[in-house]
Amino acid sequence: MIPNMSRPNFFEHLHPPTIPAREARFRYTFGLGGMSLLLFLSLVVTGVPLMFVYVPTAVSAGEAIRTITYVAPYGWLLRNLHYWAAVLLVLMGSLHLLRVALSGSYKPPRRFNWLLGLIALLFSLLLSFSGYVLRWDVDTFGALTVGANIVRQTPLVGNWLYELLVGGPLISDVTVVRFYTWHTLGLSAPVLLLLGWHAFRVRRDGGISHKNEIGDERLQNTQPSISTPRSSHLPRISRRELVQREGVAMLALLCLLLGLALFVDAPLAPQVDLVTGPAKAVTASIAAPWFFLWLQALLRHLPPVVAGIIIPLAVIMALALLPWLWDRSETGTAVWLNREGRLAQIVVLLITAGIVFLTAWELWG
Amino acid sequence: MSRNQAATAVLGFLLLLLTIGAVVRQSRQPAIVQITPTLTGRPELCLTCHQGIEEISASHPQEAFGCVLCHGGDGLALDADLAHAALRGGSAAETTGNPSDLAVVEESCGGSACHGGTAENGRDHIHRVLTSVQATYAGAIAQVNYAFGQQPDATARWGVFAVQDDVITTNTGVPFLAEFSPGPNAPEAVHVFDQDCQLCHVTAVPLAQPYFFRATGCAACHMVYENDGLYRGGDPTIAKDEPGHARSHQLTTAIPYYQCNHCHNRGNYSLRQMTFLERDDLPGPHSLSAQAQRELDYYQPIAQFTLCEWELDCVDCHTNGEVMGDGDIHSSQREIQYIQCQTCHGTLTALPLLTTIDDPEHPAIISANLNPNYSVTVGDTVIATAQGETFGWVQWDGKRLMETGKVDGRLYEVPLIMGSACQQQPDEQESHYCHECHAYEREIRD
Repeated sequence: MIPNMSRPNFFEHLHPPTIPAREARFRYTFGLGGMSLLLFLSLVVTGVPLMFVYVPTAVSAGEAIRTITYVAPYGWLLRNLHYWAAVLLVLMGSLHLLRVALSGSYKPPRRFNWLLGLIALLFSLLLSFSGYVLRWDVDTFGALTVGANIVRQTPLVGNWLYELLVGGPLISDVTVVRFYTWHTLGLSAPVLLLLGWHAFRVRRDGGISHKNEIGDERLQNTQPSISTPRSSHLPRISRRELVQREGVAMLALLCLLLGLALFVDAPLAPQVDLVTGPAKAVTASIAAPWFFLWLQALLRHLPPVVAGIIIPLAVIMALALLPWLWDRSETGTAVWLNREGRLAQIVVLLITAGIVFLTAWELWG
Repeated sequence: MSRNQAATAVLGFLLLLLTIGAVVRQSRQPAIVQITPTLTGRPELCLTCHQGIEEISASHPQEAFGCVLCHGGDGLALDADLAHAALRGGSAAETTGNPSDLAVVEESCGGSACHGGTAENGRDHIHRVLTSVQATYAGAIAQVNYAFGQQPDATARWGVFAVQDDVITTNTGVPFLAEFSPGPNAPEAVHVFDQDCQLCHVTAVPLAQPYFFRATGCAACHMVYENDGLYRGGDPTIAKDEPGHARSHQLTTAIPYYQCNHCHNRGNYSLRQMTFLERDDLPGPHSLSAQAQRELDYYQPIAQFTLCEWELDCVDCHTNGEVMGDGDIHSSQREIQYIQCQTCHGTLTALPLLTTIDDPEHPAIISANLNPNYSVTVGDTVIATAQGETFGWVQWDGKRLMETGKVDGRLYEVPLIMGSACQQQPDEQESHYCHECHAYEREIRD
């Protein structure tokens, strides 16, 4: 079979024969996007075996988790890897967003890819939340109760959304099946496609920074375009070098993941009893998963509609419209803390500070 | 070697080490011991760690009951904290994981098919204990309140917890007790009583000292603690050198005298000082023989004993009905203590009351089946009491009355008053009448 030399395959597309050395510098991107992709793949790889043991019913879910954790050979390892990959994905995905915002990588022609990434991150948060609920213990049951009731607060469509999520007026077997299906298919399949598209668009948009390759500040005002010819006198690295660097980052991440999974067990709380579960869970001091603690802090002090719906939507909109609202420059300049993007950087940093502060308040306040 | 290659080599080696670590950890996972008790039909892994623990009793076989049905907790968790987080009667970390504590006993031991039933089917154990003076402490509260002018008579009005009894069967039963709390104007002594003297009932955690070891609830009597409070059973997770554990994980009706002594013979109280005066003569010298130690244990400075009062065990005379109560709320333990000398020794003119067992379901047979030291079969003639209880362990063989010790299985011939030199009149049943002739001269022999 003659290889089709004219069209690179997907791997070759992601790894062109050469890329600018500047874009491959670890300190420029910290490899956060690539590592998030690897973490997501790890989640698929560890998640599929878990599906073989997990029983999505209200009575059996807790038992199945315990079978995985204590009985099935290497079940503890799979569950710990899955847990820590999810934790790291939320962290690295968020840091990746921060990096892209602070280094101006969202700028045209990469605005669409900014949206793709943001949706993938939001879906990943929902995936993490649904995975947390599937643990089906008194802690996660509390989060489910709170989460479902926030959804019910949505104006006009609240009750409809609630029943869609919970599968009826009360939490039951149907609820577990709904979360299970969203988790294993309804959310994970779209994220897989989104991440593929996201990575594809990176190269299609001309690399991760698309700074004018001449590279000096004087040319920043020049209108960028995908067709701008790449100058050849700037240092570039080969595909081989790129893959090697990615390999190093991948190994480092796998070491971190395996180390965490080996030495720190994923949490598990007492089993939920559908009769007494809600009452017990409400008394628990912390019900939300760690990445939603900031929302829980808001809920303690603001009306549910404001804290649970208006503020999260506002944050999402502020981020989604970042390349249109807060930084309308068309230069494509992707330089850390570039002057054009000052307002966008401030907005993102304020959101970050707010989330970190609220999380810390909820944990230690 | 390039930087990339060096980093790859180092990280690859690290990843290999971690992988080996995971294999090692998996190889150290405990071998799972899983049972699926027939009564719950749900698997339990408790025995993975507790392998070797004694079966609680022949009436509660492990295959039928398992662990969770009584203890609660998470039977599928192999992490001690998680497994024990929802244990009934306190977590194991508090060393009082006792499902028979009266606060949770209905959940653990109750239900109409178990011990939460009715007097008619003989399954009213929990109700009887909850209303008994041993649980309510109503007698002491009434006496102290009366002595200090807080109530006009010695009839019980308060207990350590509120309790009510809808079916009163005796003329001394009271319908309900309120939870005791001394009034604001009550004398200091009553307040001191309230604070310091609430250790003497089966809901209270006793002093954490040698000789006071016991659990609460049913286990206060039916779970034997050695004087040193050390566990002597086979559960590898229970420390053998940590006081405060039952002798073994076994319920028994063969309750030795020292179990009763953990409450009833460890000192005395002074009403005047409103304080408990703990005995200071325990333990006896190591050189004491078992019998001498037993005599010492029984000894109370002001008390006299006949031979049977210390040679037998408490449960050889004091019946189920006396100790656990009759289901009525009484104002004093005296109101339900009815076993007298004549119950076993008869009178000048009569043998004790005897009855011949004619029913294989007779309570005497059921009770005997719970005790390893004696047996009763249809056709046996045993002592009956005026209240209708039977002493299956005291049997008439046609010529003699033979008693089998419920705790140690020792055989005694019961001396009868009829035909002997004893001149005890039927109305002289209090022990001091016996002590006039039969007080046992104790000598603490080495």
